[in-house]
Amino acid sequence: MQRRIASCFALGLVLVAGCRDNRDVTATETRAVCSRDGNFKLFATSDERFGNARPCPVVGDPPPGWTVLPANEFRLLNYRFGPSGSGAVWISSATGSLADNVNRWRHQFGAAPLDDAAIQALRRVPMLGGSGVWVQAEGTYAAGMGAPPKAGYGLAGVITEFHGQLLTVKMVAPAAEVRFGVPALEAFVKSLRPVDSAN
Amino acid sequence: MEPAPQPASPKKPRAAIARWLVARLSGYGLATILLVLLGLLTWLATLEQIDSGLHHTLRKYFDWRAWYVVPEIRGETLPLVLPGGYWVCALLALNLTLGGILRLRKDWRHAGVLLAHLGIIYLLVAGAVAHHFSQRGHLLIAEGATSNAAEDYFEHVVEVAEVKDAMPATIQIIGGKHLTGLEDFDTRTVRLPAMPFDLELARFFPNANLMSIADQVPSSDVRTFDGYYLVAKPLELNAEANTPGCIARILYRDGNRSEPFLLTSTAYQPFSVRFDDRIFTILLRKRLWLLPFAVRLDKFTAEFYPGTMKPSKFVSEITRLENGKPAKAVIQMNEPMRYANLTFFQASYQQLEQGPSARMASVFEVVRNPADKWPQYSLYVVSFGLLVHFLTKLVGFIKEQSRPSHHV
Repeated sequence: MQRRIASCFALGLVLVAGCRDNRDVTATETRAVCSRDGNFKLFATSDERFGNARPCPVVGDPPPGWTVLPANEFRLLNYRFGPSGSGAVWISSATGSLADNVNRWRHQFGAAPLDDAAIQALRRVPMLGGSGVWVQAEGTYAAGMGAPPKAGYGLAGVITEFHGQLLTVKMVAPAAEVRFGVPALEAFVKSLRPVDSAN
Repeated sequence: MEPAPQPASPKKPRAAIARWLVARLSGYGLATILLVLLGLLTWLATLEQIDSGLHHTLRKYFDWRAWYVVPEIRGETLPLVLPGGYWVCALLALNLTLGGILRLRKDWRHAGVLLAHLGIIYLLVAGAVAHHFSQRGHLLIAEGATSNAAEDYFEHVVEVAEVKDAMPATIQIIGGKHLTGLEDFDTRTVRLPAMPFDLELARFFPNANLMSIADQVPSSDVRTFDGYYLVAKPLELNAEANTPGCIARILYRDGNRSEPFLLTSTAYQPFSVRFDDRIFTILLRKRLWLLPFAVRLDKFTAEFYPGTMKPSKFVSEITRLENGKPAKAVIQMNEPMRYANLTFFQASYQQLEQGPSARMASVFEVVRNPADKWPQYSLYVVSFGLLVHFLTKLVGFIKEQSRPSHHV
């Protein structure tokens, strides 16, 4: 009997110890400095910390239903749309030539590259006081960067030159959502204007 | 007068129960049920991971904390409760140990079967060791760059560092386990013995969008911090893409507290704080684990099947730098580098810039698994055991055939 009481007492102690208040904990783990440390800015502002410090040279009027997402290193303006929740529209600045970028986009959908003549023959849409080359593709979307390919996807986008650099507006989503979203994208592209003229 | 009946000895029923239990646990029936369950769990997990993601599904079906599983296929919950895969494997190991080793007749004729059982138990133990003790992370290196730290796939930690000469000097880690349980409005005080202050953490979002009030005005119940706020979003199917965030506040030892601030894994710069003449940074990031050597990516080559983005070959030519001594190595698909109890698999790549002459970066999966080669060894043991068994049977059969028959 005494042994049973002692066992119950010991078990109770273990349970009480296990249920200690974890609202107050002590962190003792440390690590050494490595190659990933350094290269940071001290006393960065919130805008610098969260990536909105790099201004996008253009502004536009996103259509209803598009959700604004924070800009990031690669996306100067960033939106989400569509019922699947996976539709994305973003504006980036790009390097390389127009042909490089048209064919890079087509390559992501497994489409054959176009020569200069074929690129010149692509549809153009008015934007930012000039025009942009309209690119559209459907198929299996392989964005690269190690992301798995996505079947049944679509792309619609436009590439233009603005202030001496290439500016791209790209919509990627399941193919049906892209087809449905093309008019809204065109309206958005037409609404783009330089930031200096927006204020 | 008859003597009073003695109470039955408690040892006899206990022994009978133990015998019954061992007989059940070591039986073919249980082995068959367990193997069918494992097949079923694997099949259902394969189906479920299409919608729920690999990491989530593996945890749901095969983690040691998953005692039971209710499958959910294409959003429909199946009216089926199955035991967790980890415990099915554990029971199978017990079944094989009792039935295949303890109860098996120990003679030369059964040596092959005994070896095969040992091999399968070894395989199951390898799985358990990998489950409990392996670490997986990834290492991204640009061409020409050197790195000595891999990044965990899933665990996010808060790092508090004192900065000296523009570099972190002392880095204290608040592990991911201290961030969980703060999904509601609870707060947690984290004592930092190496720092002159502590930290209060609150409102942890396992996956969140960081929003700016300049882009979208939040609803009135959402608290903003210097123009920014977090909005919870569903966990990603690909769990490594989750971007958590939380609210933090500095607790000074004199009882004063700082204004709360946001920590998010998507931040580009750490939060900085000055204390007396000392400077500290605080950031939320994926856990880094240091490698015992550095890796420099000398050249990365990617080849694709014509007209597709399907890779036919990724090759990383690297230099391992250990104690100042360089050693060349090549890592490519299906040909990992094993060194110092670490395995480097060629996982993927990144194009760091746009355009045809863009600089490339290679991504390695780095695995620290004490049981890395055990499955291979276990297969050797099983194969050898089955070979011995079949040869024993063959020799027995030939002997039987060659024996002169006696007709009556």
